[in-house]
Amino acid sequence: MVALENVAIHTLNGVQYGFVLFLIASGLTIILGILDVLNLAHGELFALGAYVTSSLVGALVGAAFTPDSGLGFLLVVLAGSALAAAVLVPVGLFLEAVLLRPIYERDEVYQLVLTFALLLVIKDAIKYVWGPKPVRLEGVYSGINALATVSIAGRTFPTYKLLIIVVGAAVTVGLFYFFERTKTGRIVRATAIDREMATAIGVDVDRTFTLVFAMGAFFAGFAGAMALPPTQAHLEMGADPLVLSFVVIVIGGLGSLRGAFVGALLVGVLTRWATWLYPAMELAAPFAIMAVVLLVKPEGLFGSWGERA
Amino acid sequence: MSDDRRLPGVVDRDGERRVRVMAGLELSRGRAALALLGVALLFAVPDLTPLLPGVKLLVVHQGLLFGFAAVGLNLLLRHTRLVSFGHAAFFGAGAYATAVLATHYEVAGLFTLLATALVAAAVVATVVGYLSLRHTGLYFALLTLAFGQLLFAIAQGQQFLGGSDGLSVRPGPGRGGAPTILGQVFAPEVYELLVYYLTVVVVLVGLLVMYRLANSPIGNALDAIGQDRTRAQFIGIPTRRYVWAAFVISGVYGGIAGGLYGVAVKHVRPEATLHFLRSGEILFMAILGGFQTLLGPLIGGVVFFFLKIGGRNFTDYFDALTGVVLLLVVFGFPRGIVGSLGGDRSVRARAAAVRSDPTVVLEWAVAGVGRLGGALRTAARNVRSVFGGT
Repeated sequence: MVALENVAIHTLNGVQYGFVLFLIASGLTIILGILDVLNLAHGELFALGAYVTSSLVGALVGAAFTPDSGLGFLLVVLAGSALAAAVLVPVGLFLEAVLLRPIYERDEVYQLVLTFALLLVIKDAIKYVWGPKPVRLEGVYSGINALATVSIAGRTFPTYKLLIIVVGAAVTVGLFYFFERTKTGRIVRATAIDREMATAIGVDVDRTFTLVFAMGAFFAGFAGAMALPPTQAHLEMGADPLVLSFVVIVIGGLGSLRGAFVGALLVGVLTRWATWLYPAMELAAPFAIMAVVLLVKPEGLFGSWGERA
Repeated sequence: MSDDRRLPGVVDRDGERRVRVMAGLELSRGRAALALLGVALLFAVPDLTPLLPGVKLLVVHQGLLFGFAAVGLNLLLRHTRLVSFGHAAFFGAGAYATAVLATHYEVAGLFTLLATALVAAAVVATVVGYLSLRHTGLYFALLTLAFGQLLFAIAQGQQFLGGSDGLSVRPGPGRGGAPTILGQVFAPEVYELLVYYLTVVVVLVGLLVMYRLANSPIGNALDAIGQDRTRAQFIGIPTRRYVWAAFVISGVYGGIAGGLYGVAVKHVRPEATLHFLRSGEILFMAILGGFQTLLGPLIGGVVFFFLKIGGRNFTDYFDALTGVVLLLVVFGFPRGIVGSLGGDRSVRARAAAVRSDPTVVLEWAVAGVGRLGGALRTAARNVRSVFGGT
């Protein structure tokens, strides 16, 4: 007999995981949808965000705050995450403006190889700065233990995970607002639909592209920062998020933000249920959903980017 | 010149003497000599490696095997213009097929192991191809990478497959800890040599088959599909089936290479065979060697492995080194090693120009610096434009 409160907890776990996936996949999907670039280095940007956050939060905890109160700790983590993600913006600017732009016109194999090269370089840059060993974070994130747990349906649930859900929801709303309601967002979407027409009506396509890539890098870094505290930062951490966000993109539809959102939550919840009910299925679950979507609706659940966010 | 004085295999074509290798493949004399030299070099490798410090036969061997997988990948890349980012899946499927048979079923025959590797790769390629060939372009690359990583996750998660430690290919005790060749047990050194020679033969046959395939009606159809899929459909080419077949053949090349890897290295680990970085490396070999050529991927494979071993000796940051070489290839030599040897701006043409007028080097240097400066200025302008100023 499956108890109801268990269902609730595992679903909530899945939603939290889904929001982390959405944060990663959103960056990848807007870059794919608008720039037509499959950024294989996206996972490493995620890892970079995590590493930078670990150092930043460590410094913040040491210098300014004593995170003995739960709220103080959460504020420090949020501030550290936002700062770390901000560090990734110039990285994104550089990658797009200097390296990617010269090869848009060329065979697409070159951009794949280029982003693969960036993956390798960023990975080793991380290894150079933080060393080959995983960065342990017990000291930095000891404040997480000071947080009171939240009680839901008779079961306890970590407050930090709840925070991820709240922040993830806020970012989701913000992203949709940006693309649906703001002028810049509409310009970006117009560029995605028709590059030439956008140029003709006076849109600076180059600048739009750089902006989008920097945005993608920002969200990758932010996802890494938010996903970090319960775990450790290690060199291989970029691979799984990259592949899982591929799965999310395939499920949702190429370059569709709406699709990425639905896909991420679907993958998140189903993976956590699988982990709970059939642990052997944990790895295969996202891919199983992907295979079904590919067979039934090859273009993904939602069409492509542009007409709707 | 009378016919009876001619060597067998030498034919006249358009007033030029050519060496006939097989139907449809006739080389000019220079090329035939080069090919002969290449083959001789491949067979001489075991005798040459002891002379070079730090180079082991197994290194060259692995380079050849991954290069062979890259030759398979190149069938898709060169003709149908599809970028597969999951070729390690087929390599790994082949390698794991040998390991599973040897470890769990006590199969010792080398050729049985290899045949199974071929079949396993074909099956995996058929399924992955069916699911991912509905898409082209970046979407296809993304799907192949995802499926490849699924296999990696399975291999790492299943106890049956040895987890992250992998499986060894050493069937049963009392057989010298290696597969048997035609029922015979060989000493380790002899076994290593025999498997290497087998690899050389397989590679040569594989290259000839690939050449025939590329120059057959099927190869032309694949070219047409790569140039314009819709138009290819209009002239009656069953594009789906052709691309699928090409995908499976390409996977089989990877599987054979993987199977040979299994019996040569005698230990199969997920990290070394299935990880998506290996897929990236296989693609890198094709680009490095020149993906518009038949031999490029193979040469790229061997060069890559030398780079790997050489790089490992003097830096811990081998991945970054690979990345930088890759960037150089993308921006400086997009046609790769073999591709850069042909054409009018090729190495040979330039060497001839230097011989006739050495000062031309100065001109090139000035032009090169100019281009580099131009690229840097463009980059700086791009960065500035982000902040509003132009």
